[in-house]
Amino acid sequence: MTAHWLTYCLDEAIASLRRQRVSVLLSVLTIAAALLVLGGFLLVTVNLDRAVSRWSAAAEFSIYLADDISPEQRVALNTLLDGQPAVASREYISKADAALRFRRDFPDLAAGLADLAQNPLPASIDVRLDPAKADGAALETFAARVTAAGGVADVRFDRRWLERLGRIAAGVRWAGWILGAVLLAAAVLTVATVVRLALHARRDEVDIMQLMGAPIGLLRGPLVVEGILQGGAGALVSLGALYGGFLLARVRILAALGATPDAADLGFLPPGMSALVVVIGMAVGCAGGYLAARHVR
Amino acid sequence: MYGRGIYALRDVSLVVEKGEFVFLSGPSGAGKSTLLRLLLRQELPTEGSVKVAGRDLAKLTPSQAQTYRRAVGFVFQDFKLIATKTVLDNVGLVPRVLGATSVQQQRRTFQVLKWLGLQHRMNAYPLELSGGEQQRVAIARALVNEPALILADEPTGNLDPDLSLEIMNLFRDINARGTTVLVATHNRELMRHVGRRAVSLDHGHLVETS
Repeated sequence: MTAHWLTYCLDEAIASLRRQRVSVLLSVLTIAAALLVLGGFLLVTVNLDRAVSRWSAAAEFSIYLADDISPEQRVALNTLLDGQPAVASREYISKADAALRFRRDFPDLAAGLADLAQNPLPASIDVRLDPAKADGAALETFAARVTAAGGVADVRFDRRWLERLGRIAAGVRWAGWILGAVLLAAAVLTVATVVRLALHARRDEVDIMQLMGAPIGLLRGPLVVEGILQGGAGALVSLGALYGGFLLARVRILAALGATPDAADLGFLPPGMSALVVVIGMAVGCAGGYLAARHVR
Repeated sequence: MYGRGIYALRDVSLVVEKGEFVFLSGPSGAGKSTLLRLLLRQELPTEGSVKVAGRDLAKLTPSQAQTYRRAVGFVFQDFKLIATKTVLDNVGLVPRVLGATSVQQQRRTFQVLKWLGLQHRMNAYPLELSGGEQQRVAIARALVNEPALILADEPTGNLDPDLSLEIMNLFRDINARGTTVLVATHNRELMRHVGRRAVSLDHGHLVETS
């Protein structure tokens, strides 16, 4: 199809959209609602992924030491940590340092700790991992060896719950795709109905063009373009609404967490994903337009 | 043939030479419009064949049928102009959809409108025109692509006698330029005035040739 025909299809599609503003608005809002649901799920999962990624980079082993750990066991534990390439750094926290941290982080509970006869908090080693070398399976093996080492009371491994969080994010993402797909299928039918109304409105024109020998592609083209324009408009509306909702939600979340925007690290959909939402909207519109255009034979 | 054994046209054998002007006459329901629809490949014969320039229309693919129609101009009794488009756009639509450049489209459209004396009405909408003007616009649309064959189905059916005569003279001029013209009409007065070959249909049968 030449650029000339594309111009023709675009002109006719825009004229048709202007003619039936109300039904087009309904169709655009239907697509927008479907994409808003999909976009909302994507936005949640993008931020979950971002949080998982950030927390993974700062993932720690916390090795809690038994109060009666012997010097030999301490040396053996240090040797074990030295031999693990994923260990970027480590810091020994004594029982007294742990009590200090507790009083600093939980001032309301500090009095309770002071009432106790002896400090119940264990000494520990906080191990920071190098994300580039932190292979999941090897770390699991390493965590098991540390747990089994003498003088170790407990091991808390951040990566485990981060992996669980990652799986939850993936589940949310899939739920979004499935729900979005169902709603988008409904949107396809809405677009098809609206474009068929447009086809009926210009049936005479299409019939005349058929008798003049206009190629079938040219008769169907304006209808498909009309669907694509509706889909694109719906996608832009949904992105606008999603961004507005994101800004409102961010203010509330930051207020609830008492955090600064940087600390919360909440972000909108990246440009590639926003473009994907627009492409999906246009594809939905294209499918609806084509469904209607099939009636032109 | 329609369903249940009713024939719209039966045992019709008609040859129209290139460059000829032929009237197709007969009462309402005689089969004139059906014959024109067969020639435009809007319908296919249940038996027999319709050939134009040696090509059997029934054997054309949908795409070939559209290509064939580009060589045929069609004029309707009710004009079939697009009410939302100006005269210029109605006539210019043909070269536009057939891929002419904007300059070619304007040149061809203006030429044909000028020839039909409509250049001063090119920005008017169909409903702002008289019946005669509307039919001339429809003829301009049929002519703008310089077709080899013009088919007209009762083109003067909605016009008064003076305008009808004017339109028939236009068809005669078009034919004089070498275009084959086939006009369906039941107006014998007009046929006599133009004085060309006439073929008559009655109840689907070809009953008379003069």
